[in-house]
Amino acid sequence: MSLIYRRFFTILSLVGMLNIAASELPKGPNDKPNLNGVWQVLNTANYNLEAHSASAAMDLVVGPIVPVPHPSILALGAVGAVPAGLSVVEGGTIPYKKDALKKRNENKENWLQLDPEIKCYLPGVPRATYMPYPFQIFHSEKAIFFAYEYAGAVRNIYLEDPGEAPMDSWMGQSWGYWDNDTFVVEASGFNDQTWFDRSGNFHSDKLKVTERFTLLNKHTMGYEATIQDEEVFTKPWTIKMTLYKRIGQDAQLQQFKCVEFVEELLYGKWRAK
Amino acid sequence: MQSRVMPTLLGLVFLLTGGLVYSDTYQVKKTWFGDPDLQGTWTNSTLTTLERSASFKNLVVSEEQAETAALIASQGNDAYDNYLKQGETPKKGQDVGGYNTAWMDPGTKLLRVGNEYRSSIIISPKNGKLPWDAKKRREYFSKDLRRKFKRTDHPELRGVGERCVVGFGSSGGPPMMNVLYNNNYQIVQSPGYVMIMAEMIHDTRIIRLEGAHLPESMDPWMGDSTGRWEGDTLVVETTNFNWQHVHRAGLRHYFAISKDAKITEIFKRTSNTEILYRFRVDDPNLYKSAWVGEMPLRAQSDKIYEYACHEGNYAMKNILAGARAEEK
Amino acid sequence: MNKSLLILFTVIALVGGLNAEEWTQSKTWFGDPDLQGTWTNASLTNLERPDYYDTLIVSEEEARTTLRMSEEFSESVDNPYEEGESPQAGDNVGGYNVAWMDPGTDLFKLDGEYRSSILTYPEDGKLPRRYIRWGLEAYGMYRMFTVADHPEERSLGERCLVGFGSSGGPPMLNVLYNNNYQIVQSPGYVMILVEMNHDARIIRLESNHNPDNMKPWLGDSVGAWEGNTLVVRTKNHHPQQKFRAGIRHQILVMEGAEITERFTRTDENEILYQFEVDDDKAYKDTWRGEMPLRAADGEIYEYACHEGNYAMANILAGARAEERK
Repeated sequence: MSLIYRRFFTILSLVGMLNIAASELPKGPNDKPNLNGVWQVLNTANYNLEAHSASAAMDLVVGPIVPVPHPSILALGAVGAVPAGLSVVEGGTIPYKKDALKKRNENKENWLQLDPEIKCYLPGVPRATYMPYPFQIFHSEKAIFFAYEYAGAVRNIYLEDPGEAPMDSWMGQSWGYWDNDTFVVEASGFNDQTWFDRSGNFHSDKLKVTERFTLLNKHTMGYEATIQDEEVFTKPWTIKMTLYKRIGQDAQLQQFKCVEFVEELLYGKWRAK
Repeated sequence: MQSRVMPTLLGLVFLLTGGLVYSDTYQVKKTWFGDPDLQGTWTNSTLTTLERSASFKNLVVSEEQAETAALIASQGNDAYDNYLKQGETPKKGQDVGGYNTAWMDPGTKLLRVGNEYRSSIIISPKNGKLPWDAKKRREYFSKDLRRKFKRTDHPELRGVGERCVVGFGSSGGPPMMNVLYNNNYQIVQSPGYVMIMAEMIHDTRIIRLEGAHLPESMDPWMGDSTGRWEGDTLVVETTNFNWQHVHRAGLRHYFAISKDAKITEIFKRTSNTEILYRFRVDDPNLYKSAWVGEMPLRAQSDKIYEYACHEGNYAMKNILAGARAEEK
Repeated sequence: MNKSLLILFTVIALVGGLNAEEWTQSKTWFGDPDLQGTWTNASLTNLERPDYYDTLIVSEEEARTTLRMSEEFSESVDNPYEEGESPQAGDNVGGYNVAWMDPGTDLFKLDGEYRSSILTYPEDGKLPRRYIRWGLEAYGMYRMFTVADHPEERSLGERCLVGFGSSGGPPMLNVLYNNNYQIVQSPGYVMILVEMNHDARIIRLESNHNPDNMKPWLGDSVGAWEGNTLVVRTKNHHPQQKFRAGIRHQILVMEGAEITERFTRTDENEILYQFEVDDDKAYKDTWRGEMPLRAADGEIYEYACHEGNYAMANILAGARAEERK
């Protein structure tokens, strides 16, 4: 075959493959990519958005030789230990203002007392996305709704800009729109009570989060979230990770209503003797 | 700020070619995806020590000297196994002993590179000794917490092998050194990766080909290895060493690797049954200069056993409890 | 104007007018009947028929009785004291003002008729209780509202586990406030968000129930379409969700109860919600009820109950303080 002929077929088949790839995205309402499904991340972002080695526990106290797990965690052994993970933050680290970084480090030292996840409080955004529990997206022509397994948290994404949130809330107020095949969500109206991970990364009530959900193929979705909060950070910063679709007969959102599991922790000291 | 020392071009050239005594006529086979094939089960057990002992003047020894060394070792084993007469038992307070030689596999011969028997693994410096910088070493170890305590005070002060964290000595490496037993490694390759499993602690070094190193804040046990092919030679660079793994003390070696070290290894298959393994340690925190060693990895026909160290670690508890009992 | 044209226009107007009252069931993008939207079941009609009503359907005038009682209740809640007066030590300090309540403003209507109870069967509008079972549960019920020894003994609403009463259901019943639900559908699923406790009931269509050892809060629900009606079957109810009590209703739902709900959209702004409870352990007979879910005006707020649950700590701490006296 002549060179030109060969080149032509190569280009043709490449174009063909690209087309097939694009048309393989399952279609949802209004011919947009279908976001329906049970989704979950497979990373350690919930431990720490920034790069981290494995360690004995989230809360370490001074030991005779090396730091050791806090007595409250000790009995868990390896179950209470922390796996290693690369940073999901573009640029590697979160651009804190100087005082804010001090506060982040204080948060981290006092993880057991301060992390809202321990008390089964609502996780906020974007933490809800990368909790070690799945969530289900209900994507219809009328609504896009996220039901998270952790604490039964929910987000109803308005499909029209509702204006400023009437009040602060834990999960914020979200509205979304399509940017070609990417679903963009703008969330605001947060209180300052949630953390971004277990390592004390935090925000003020001025937080605004812009998320981008891009279906990459039938089973994976790219997720980006840009954090803006002029009170805490020197500039906006973005996290990036992949969501994997749960498939198979056990791909079912279960219930993790953990409020009942923390009653002993929160109220135990007031039990009747 | 950690300093990373880049090997000079000269050093790299030396590493790749210096002291090479093989002919290049062996055609290495390829894996299913086209990389040179290093796969299989390999051993580095040998009588040769890291540093040259006083009984040898040169790196290369004669066949006769090698035979003598093997004989001495074998006689030594017999003596070790039979230090009590029939019916005799250790006196109270005497060392109760440890492994019989049945449990050992420390090699029976000096190693051979090409047709040269070697008296040390180190080939540079030429004297076969580690080029310690005594002052720097003192400084680095002055911060060592072991100085404040007795070694039976805390588990973290015991050797890494006793803690069952990584294989003792520098078995898993890098650099991968021969020790008292279990000198076995399995290499499996897949697109973009070379995986070396060290028998002890079933530790897998996953070498990422054409990958970037981890950020400074991460310090995995056995460091972080990235690699690339140069012709049929695998060149591996390892950095980000864990600060707890500084002391590497084994039967046939003692050396130290600081957390800022950079170690370069090359793996080159020289025959169906042998890989030439050479390594260079750049660690200005402890040494006056870089040092280079080499040894063959020889093909093994056996399979590797599971090494469930931690799961059977009665010793740690007994060592500490025994020390506490003695203190009372 | 030309006479025949006038007749033509009149006919068209009449027909057009008639057509304006006809409503056709819309479909979701994937072809299921569309129940989506934000709905409320707030009304003054309770589960059981109050004693002052004899029939299921009551007249407009009879309905005013309930309305008047509701207004009197609101008045008493908001104005328990004279100007300047305050509670004496040991008095009940009160709870919500009416501003916090949303119990509905009227009895609900179905087919244009006021209903005195949600229950349609038994015909007397009363729950066919097995008093022995209720007797066995009575001690726990009593402790729930009188004793504060342990958080687990308090009501589910106070624990912020699920909405109080049977707000989340099933069956989904009206309570003092937050009687709001959002329905979103996607292929194979119908999701009902219950405002309290931001609980998402995820109904799996054409699916089997999960094994019996899994007893989630709000039960395990599977659904199927029968024409334009969504039929939902729920079983394996959570063992701690037995007693569901609010001001408007007090029911027992045992773990093994089988509950069937039917959702039929009758209008742009209304879904007919019907349910049947088959719970042989706690009741002598099945019981059935129905009510409209009406299109709600506005969006649902976040109900972060647990995050703001000062009450639980204070209830327990107060009880401990009293014991020390």
